Amino acid sequence: MSALRPTTPRFKQNVREALANENIQAAMRNYGSGFVNKRAAARAAMAEFDDIRDAARDLKNHTLANLDLYLARYEAEVLEAGGHVHWAETAEDARRIVLEICRDAGATTVNKGKTMISEECGINDWLEENGIRPVETDLGEYIIQLRGETPSHIIAPAVHVTVPEVDELFREKHAHLDAGRRLDHASMLSEARAVLREKYFQAEVGITGANMLIAETGQSVIVTNEGNGDLSQSLPKVHIVMASLEKVVPTLEDAATVLRVLARSATGQEMSVYTTFSAGPKRDTDPDGPEEYHVVLLDNGRTNMLGTEFQEMLRCIRCGACMNHCPVYQAVGGHAYGWVYPGPMGAVLTPSLIGVETGGQLPNASTFCGRCEAVCPMRIPLPKMMRHWREREFEKRLTPSAARWGLAFWRALAARPGLYRMATRMGAFGLRLMAMGKGRLAKLPMGGGWTDHRDFPAPQGGTFQSRWKAMGGRRR
Amino acid sequence: MSARGNILARVRRVTGGGDKVAVAARLGHHQPGGAPVPAMAQIDGPNRVKQFIDKAEAADATVSRIASLEDLPAALAEELRSRNLPAAIRTGHDPAFVQDWGTVEHSVGVGRLDEPATLTRAEFGMAETGTLLLASGADNPVTLNFLGETHFVVLEAKDITAGFEDMWAAWRKRGLDPRTVNLVTGPSRSADIGQTLQLGAHGPISLHVFVVG
Repeated sequence: MSALRPTTPRFKQNVREALANENIQAAMRNYGSGFVNKRAAARAAMAEFDDIRDAARDLKNHTLANLDLYLARYEAEVLEAGGHVHWAETAEDARRIVLEICRDAGATTVNKGKTMISEECGINDWLEENGIRPVETDLGEYIIQLRGETPSHIIAPAVHVTVPEVDELFREKHAHLDAGRRLDHASMLSEARAVLREKYFQAEVGITGANMLIAETGQSVIVTNEGNGDLSQSLPKVHIVMASLEKVVPTLEDAATVLRVLARSATGQEMSVYTTFSAGPKRDTDPDGPEEYHVVLLDNGRTNMLGTEFQEMLRCIRCGACMNHCPVYQAVGGHAYGWVYPGPMGAVLTPSLIGVETGGQLPNASTFCGRCEAVCPMRIPLPKMMRHWREREFEKRLTPSAARWGLAFWRALAARPGLYRMATRMGAFGLRLMAMGKGRLAKLPMGGGWTDHRDFPAPQGGTFQSRWKAMGGRRR
Repeated sequence: MSARGNILARVRRVTGGGDKVAVAARLGHHQPGGAPVPAMAQIDGPNRVKQFIDKAEAADATVSRIASLEDLPAALAEELRSRNLPAAIRTGHDPAFVQDWGTVEHSVGVGRLDEPATLTRAEFGMAETGTLLLASGADNPVTLNFLGETHFVVLEAKDITAGFEDMWAAWRKRGLDPRTVNLVTGPSRSADIGQTLQLGAHGPISLHVFVVG
């Protein structure tokens, strides 16, 4: 998979492969409920958490309603600080801009802090094609770069990789080290630290992303735990920030509101270790820091989401809580989604950015359990937007014919209440007979997609409607 | 039209040019937009320093208190000794570090590839989360915050604010304009190998704060 060659159209096949892949399944079992429990604990430790989520939602709505004004102010502040702002309408424009800056800097090596926008633009492949070596410095990103992969999670990019796989990988790629060395968690970390430490000093350009852009001050903000984004921007002579334009927030106070929900939602930390605000190039008397500061401000379809039913998606702060809590993501991991952004936020964003024709499969990967919306710090109605995409997919006749026929059949039935009641009564009765008193069905005609993996519970008692009536439920 | 013009035109079609008055008010008066200030960001009095220390320690930093800056060389020498580190420290030109360092070898400059211990001064601390605010410049080069295996930080107790709100207000008042502001909460870490959290990813493995006063 690369950003330029999405595999989203073969989503179902990706899922089958992910479910059959023992390494992915082992990694996803390990992934388990760690993030979920840590977020719950962080939320419980701050009584005001849900009120601050409301404030964060309101602040993003206000910013989006005035996006042109805030972008103009942000740009003016960056220029004032001696930086450059490059507006990129498409991923292709962003690639061209980044390459030009790298060439002007005479770069042969580019260090990268973690940036999903660079993934979206396919920067690594692009730089390599043009003879420049990109080096990912986030530990997870480094691991997947060595494996020739892309991130499977927006904040834990190597979450699909098991420890034995990292062991094998480091032995293969760090061939200059003693082959007989013992590797455990700690020594793998210090080995990667030592290898990357040297690379920090070799790069001419450092690329980072941005969690926020602050209009008031012209600062870009990155939030990390490792410190790699800071070394990537402080040691090379040129710092490029790749950011999408909806990352702008008005003031430092507004940034604080986002920070208060970001780490808690992501990793359950009250604050990530490093929150770094960068403005322009190094000052005249500074002994270190970059001599040039460039911001590539990416649109790539986002302004077309404004004013549509998908505008609220632009509130997303990329914390990853939705995927951490998603039963579908937990089962198949991120690569199955087939493009840059996985999980519920990816299911909504992907069709917006690469088109429903290519990405329309993803919004179907949801049980609509609603956990994503329940935990989203920005209160983005993810299930509602997935429903919108399903509607669009249906309207464009992209839905497979079996599903279309099924929906047509259901609609015909549902529009005839008498017939519907009779059919559900017969269905429930039939299933109960087939279960032969065991209460569960191990096989179901046309239901193999369910029963291959788990038993189907046989209906108990009457239909929902008959029970509703028996309990005195109101009719409209 | 330029990319900038096209993008802004698409935005304006939806915003209708935005609400200039509301935007100017927010940018000019730093209105928090009605966001609630959490109780943990409103601690005052001696409990504020205590909460800062508790939160910093919860984030795996270590903290010790010294009465005045004059006590720094001895306290640092002792910390270096107890951590089995070489008796050497690297700092910037900050006046706080113009001291008689005694037996500790003091060098001034930016961070280098191999840097056992560095020392920088924090402009502020934030009790809300045990966070340090470090400003880059000749006094405290930014690379010293990340390249030291052990990072020592000096923080005046009077510079410990309750939370973001009073810290940003105090920060603006100080009128500095550094290239980089680092908010640091504990030493560097990663859980990217087997989802097991380990300290010391690319930045410091240990972070120690001297609270002065």
